[in-house]
Amino acid sequence: MSENKIVELAKEQALVLDCGKSLKSIKTAYTTYGKLNAAKDNAILICHALTGDQYVASKHPITKKEGWWSYIVGPEKPIDTNKFFVVCPNVIGGCMGSTGPKEVNSETGKEYGTDFPVITIADMVRAQKLLIDYLGIEKIFCVTGGSMGGMLVLEWLSKFPKMVHSAIPIATATNHSAQNIALNELARQSIMADPNWNSGNYYNSDNKPLKGLSVARMAAHISYLSKDALHSKFGRNLQDKNSLDYSFDADFQIESYLRHQGFTFVDRFDANSYLYITRAMDYFDVSSSNNGSLIESFKNTSSKVLCISFTSDWLYPTSENKKIVKVFNTLGINVSFIEIETDGGHDSFLLEEPKLFEAMQGFIKSTYENL
Amino acid sequence: MSLINEKKDFKIIADLIPAMSSVIDVGCNDGSLLEFLKEEKDIDGRGMEIDQQKVQLCLSKGISVIEGDADLDLYDYPDNLFDYSILTYTLQATKSPKNVLSELVRISSKAIISFPNFGHWKIATSLLLNRKMPISEKLSYSWHETPNLHFCTINDFIDLCDETGIKIEKQANLKTNKLNKFNGKNLLNSYFNEVGLFLVSKIKN
Repeated sequence: MSENKIVELAKEQALVLDCGKSLKSIKTAYTTYGKLNAAKDNAILICHALTGDQYVASKHPITKKEGWWSYIVGPEKPIDTNKFFVVCPNVIGGCMGSTGPKEVNSETGKEYGTDFPVITIADMVRAQKLLIDYLGIEKIFCVTGGSMGGMLVLEWLSKFPKMVHSAIPIATATNHSAQNIALNELARQSIMADPNWNSGNYYNSDNKPLKGLSVARMAAHISYLSKDALHSKFGRNLQDKNSLDYSFDADFQIESYLRHQGFTFVDRFDANSYLYITRAMDYFDVSSSNNGSLIESFKNTSSKVLCISFTSDWLYPTSENKKIVKVFNTLGINVSFIEIETDGGHDSFLLEEPKLFEAMQGFIKSTYENL
Repeated sequence: MSLINEKKDFKIIADLIPAMSSVIDVGCNDGSLLEFLKEEKDIDGRGMEIDQQKVQLCLSKGISVIEGDADLDLYDYPDNLFDYSILTYTLQATKSPKNVLSELVRISSKAIISFPNFGHWKIATSLLLNRKMPISEKLSYSWHETPNLHFCTINDFIDLCDETGIKIEKQANLKTNKLNKFNGKNLLNSYFNEVGLFLVSKIKN
């Protein structure tokens, strides 16, 4: 169990962001598990997804649920905290303690709201690097994460290749597809259509854009699942009733489930953070600083990499993950690839999936033994 | 297939590969050949394997392995990425042996190919006498459940290489464990070798 820690970095020199603006005194909230050894060669950096946070393997302070990757991170687990020093920071732009739109801007004394600069995945990684430097880690043994977490992994491999010994990008892509941008835009529009959003100024109001954020979450949640999984879990089953109501109440179990996902999400997430982080994902193209050349983007990478995809993931499908593998192969990078068969959809990386655990454990263990 | 773990084959393959070469083993099974070559020749090895259980085994041994299909996934590699590619007892199970062969000599300078020889006298005699598809130690499946789609003889393989613009450089005799310079087609060759094991390369234009 790890306590949440908050550190303030870039106090002297501001971090220059991709948008041209800069951020000073950046707060990063993070958790750690296990101990950094004397050689400092056992650090694993875990990058969370869009709505994840630093509570990777400890109870969430708001939901009281187990950490989002508690299947994977812990003593004797695939990421064995008896052996490894695990670091999981909340990304900047997030809402669990790191500098983001809901935090107070020290220059104005007010919450940033939409005055917060538009950040990118690369900016998030720059902020993470400040934390890694602060922790005294020169070379991270392994950087891993799924979905947006996987984008951060790719950005690490591209921008700080010498600092990464190995990496496991899971269910991710080198850039955001039009379909993914479309889905994020749907989510953003539903937040901004909520009158309580009030152009992002709602922190001191009693009325927050909960409806908009809730609908955004419902739409996104559908994209994390597969048609087969939805069918086998819910089918056309009715919710606590034997016949249709001829109303717009939640007749079907799937409706009730989605509403529940939406309602509970708003307790732990900030609507503005949702706008900023989805924007960062849409802007993501790991090759953008190299004129679109993936080869140029990874030419200095010498890390050992394991790419993982899931058969039923239509958001970041196998073809997108294989694109990464192809580039790494072309560059002669030590890359492995496994496609896990499951009907769990994109969410599979968060589920109890023994084949995922086996692959990660096998890769991490053998890579550390051959360090 | 049980054959792939025969240490005898491993030794003769290792003899074909200079130290420190980069090698891809297509259909690398549990990675034991790559491990052997790493041990013997300090190669930089990569694997491709279609069976996920075996991919997991490779990962746990620290072998870089791609879950993939020789018929589909070799296209993802650039020209001459490797010094050597290896395809042991897999050619006959591919959908398109000709394309696979062409791809192997495209992505590597030299390719090592082995396959069960359907022209071996025991197989030929078994077919002739029993009028049933032969089952032997090297061809251990019944006709209706075999994963092997394209059986060939050593002479067929030699013809295919000719057609595909591929030069045969050496042939191994697995009985004597010797590597021989290839001197063209001959009847005895196809009769007495249960396995064809060849070192080939692309004929440069």
